Amino acid sequence: MNPHIKKVYVPMTETAFFILLCLRKPNHGYGIVQMVEKMTEGAIKLTPGTMYGSLSKMEKDQVIRFLREEEKRKIYQITELGLEVLQLERKRIERLYKIAQEEM
Amino acid sequence: MERKKQFKWFSIFEHEKEQDYLQRMHRSGWKLTAIRGFGMYHFEKCAPEDVAYRLDYNKDGLAHKEEYLKMFEDCGWEHIQEYVGYSYFRKPVTEEGAEEEIFCDAESRISMMQRVLKARLLPLLIVFIVFLPQFLIHCFSARNYLAAFFTGAVLLTYLAFFAICFVKYQQYKSRQEERE
Repeated sequence: MNPHIKKVYVPMTETAFFILLCLRKPNHGYGIVQMVEKMTEGAIKLTPGTMYGSLSKMEKDQVIRFLREEEKRKIYQITELGLEVLQLERKRIERLYKIAQEEM
Repeated sequence: MERKKQFKWFSIFEHEKEQDYLQRMHRSGWKLTAIRGFGMYHFEKCAPEDVAYRLDYNKDGLAHKEEYLKMFEDCGWEHIQEYVGYSYFRKPVTEEGAEEEIFCDAESRISMMQRVLKARLLPLLIVFIVFLPQFLIHCFSARNYLAAFFTGAVLLTYLAFFAICFVKYQQYKSRQEERE
């Protein structure tokens, strides 16, 4: 993996994490906002400015790709590289969680 | 409909102040209708209401305007207008008093500022680095010391301006990181 991608995405922001997680199936930005609100029972509300900026940046970095447009909403999906990055981040979070459980 | 206008000027680093100003106006019954010319804010009388105003600066978004505005609209933001590259949005503050935001982390607030600085300062920086020194050398070789003096003064002004921007940017950055 390109060291730049690893540096930017491990660790990644909460928004980037949820984008990758939700885009394992094709979806648009607002769809992700709604999914995350449901998944976290309203605790995490993603915002449009952050969302739009993250989606364009992540498309440029090729961790997600643009599929098509539906009713003025861009539909994206995760790429192979994106899945790799998500796995790395998941392992990092699991390691932190394990350490916290042992230590606290 | 009663209307009024106010002249206000906010620097690149004061968009939060500008947001607060517009929210205050709306709270006191003056709703923003347009910004025109050189910082002329137009308002019309309305019922006083707590409405959050937010600014984004996203050229990429404006290049794909329909999808960009749709995302904000989906999230409940009303688009007011574009003004010198900024997009103005507003959304009523909910009853629970939760402050509405268009950015939810420090990283995205900092990248917005980087987009503004890139668009505003890069052209100035090119003039500063490429043209002014060449012009200065030319003045000296032509023994035109008066022109050289003025060019030097412009160079120093530039330098001071960039230094101020750099400090302001660092302050903005640490302010955003502290907000987390």
